[in-house]
Amino acid sequence: MIQVKNLELSISGKKILSDISFSVLDGMWSCLVGPNGAGKTTLLKVLLGSAPYSGSVTSDGFEVFGNHKRNVAFVPQQPRIPQGMTVAEYVMLGRAKKDGWGNESAKSRSFVAEILGITNLFGMHRQMVSHLSGGEMQRTLIARALAQEPELILLDEPTSALDLHHQIEVLNNLQYIQQRGVTIVSTMHDITLAAMYAQRLIVMQGGRLLVEGAAHEIIHSAELRTAFDNRISVFTLDSGRPVVIARKDEGSN
Amino acid sequence: MTPGKQDATQISPIWNWKITSTCAVLLLLIGLAAVSFGPINISFEKILRTLLGVHGGLVGRERTVLLDLRLPRALLAALVGAALATSGAVYQSVFRNPLADPYLLGAASGAGLGATIAITNAHGNVYSLLPIFSFVGGTLAVLTSFFISGRFFAEPQSLLLSGIAVGSFATAIQTYLQQRHSASLRPVYSWILGELTVANWKIVTWSSIYILMALAILISISKQLDGLMLSDEESFSLGINPNRLRIIAVAAATLATATAVSASGLIGFVGIVVPHLIRGITHRVTNRNLLTIALAGAGFLVLADLGARTLLSPAELPIGVITAFVGAPFFLVVLRRRRSEA
Repeated sequence: MIQVKNLELSISGKKILSDISFSVLDGMWSCLVGPNGAGKTTLLKVLLGSAPYSGSVTSDGFEVFGNHKRNVAFVPQQPRIPQGMTVAEYVMLGRAKKDGWGNESAKSRSFVAEILGITNLFGMHRQMVSHLSGGEMQRTLIARALAQEPELILLDEPTSALDLHHQIEVLNNLQYIQQRGVTIVSTMHDITLAAMYAQRLIVMQGGRLLVEGAAHEIIHSAELRTAFDNRISVFTLDSGRPVVIARKDEGSN
Repeated sequence: MTPGKQDATQISPIWNWKITSTCAVLLLLIGLAAVSFGPINISFEKILRTLLGVHGGLVGRERTVLLDLRLPRALLAALVGAALATSGAVYQSVFRNPLADPYLLGAASGAGLGATIAITNAHGNVYSLLPIFSFVGGTLAVLTSFFISGRFFAEPQSLLLSGIAVGSFATAIQTYLQQRHSASLRPVYSWILGELTVANWKIVTWSSIYILMALAILISISKQLDGLMLSDEESFSLGINPNRLRIIAVAAATLATATAVSASGLIGFVGIVVPHLIRGITHRVTNRNLLTIALAGAGFLVLADLGARTLLSPAELPIGVITAFVGAPFFLVVLRRRRSEA
């Protein structure tokens, strides 16, 4: 479990995160939601351990900053796509921590082949990553994260550049992973999808945490509407599923 | 498709040993040709007998030509070619820019300025001082480029622009020093054009120490350089400290470049042409082929030097002319091929 206590983070004197405290529960999918500039991506970097902070962010009792011993996978919103690397090689990068750089065990190759199958990438394992479509690249990124056999996967807007069909495909992949015990923390702009897949929602605005808790409760909370300046409405479908839509005019329902 | 075991073993070819071995064999053959051909042609058999120390080797003048002139020159060309090609490939990986080479970042111009300062203020044996001055000059130029670009490694384009500015500034100071010390104008000028005529065992020895050390470091971290092609957060999640790795890579590449420049002057095109040539053949990221690139760079420059020595024999062409003359059209062919494949 990751425990965040009184987290503060400033860049060039500007406060990006203020007084944040919450816990990331093991085996759960927690989703950070909030408007642009809320500090969601920065919080992901803090959880990864790559961004310096004040306060306390501990995983199994150890501070996460600079801790390379943890096995955490990170899927960025806008990946840098290397030229001249095949899908299989790109996914195999995820094994570097297990095998050591420059070593690729037969077990890893077999494992990567299995992951390529799970993520529907095996047929294209020899393709260059620079030639993939948006949906294929996103699946490749998730495959690389899976290859790490991580305890935690952090994803920054994993569905932002995808059409609805590919969004569902990627989210189903993530759900499959989470159901096998991997903890997931992601950011997502689509709150409806976030509440559909994640068990926990963490609502942020202006670098602060407004509320966090079970997704089915938080989606109806006043804090969520506050985070978006009351410009969203939440409806419940006949099936009981909540849907969040943007309001066209301020003040109308 | 369900992946089977056979499929799994086909996933990730890391080294293309066929291409690496081909480059090694070609380097040996080119090297043999380089020490064989010239104003005096020496047979392959006699060369091999002499090098292996068996009966029937060369004696007298031919032996001197082989051991004191051609062999150190070929070895120096190989070392310089390997250094420039490998450094170019590493810079391209580190800065995620296919056009990055040591010259663009100001390392070579800085090394050139350092070497010019050494030559113009020489008292005694200048060649023992050249690598130190070149390395300090090259390192200072790269560091200044980073400092001016503002964000450490974060903005490759602004870094390249500042590298160009720093390189031009170093060249301006170099020209000023040349003009002020007209007595040393000739050695500085011939050094700038790039030459291997000064090669001797002493230069080969000190060059090989620095260059082989730098190449060993770069090849040992070559797989980790894959991680630098991703975002810093992804690198971190894969167990890499990206800034530390970049510093090691740039320091080693700068050491190799500065040593190469101090030993042979400014030889252009090797740092870009060779990595792209190998990438064009293997279709793989350059840092996965550093050993192949080092061997190909060595072969390319030994061949270029052979051309420089023999094409207008007994006169010699500057080697930089050959590398550009051969390299530029070849580079265009590779680019065109890659574009049509894309």
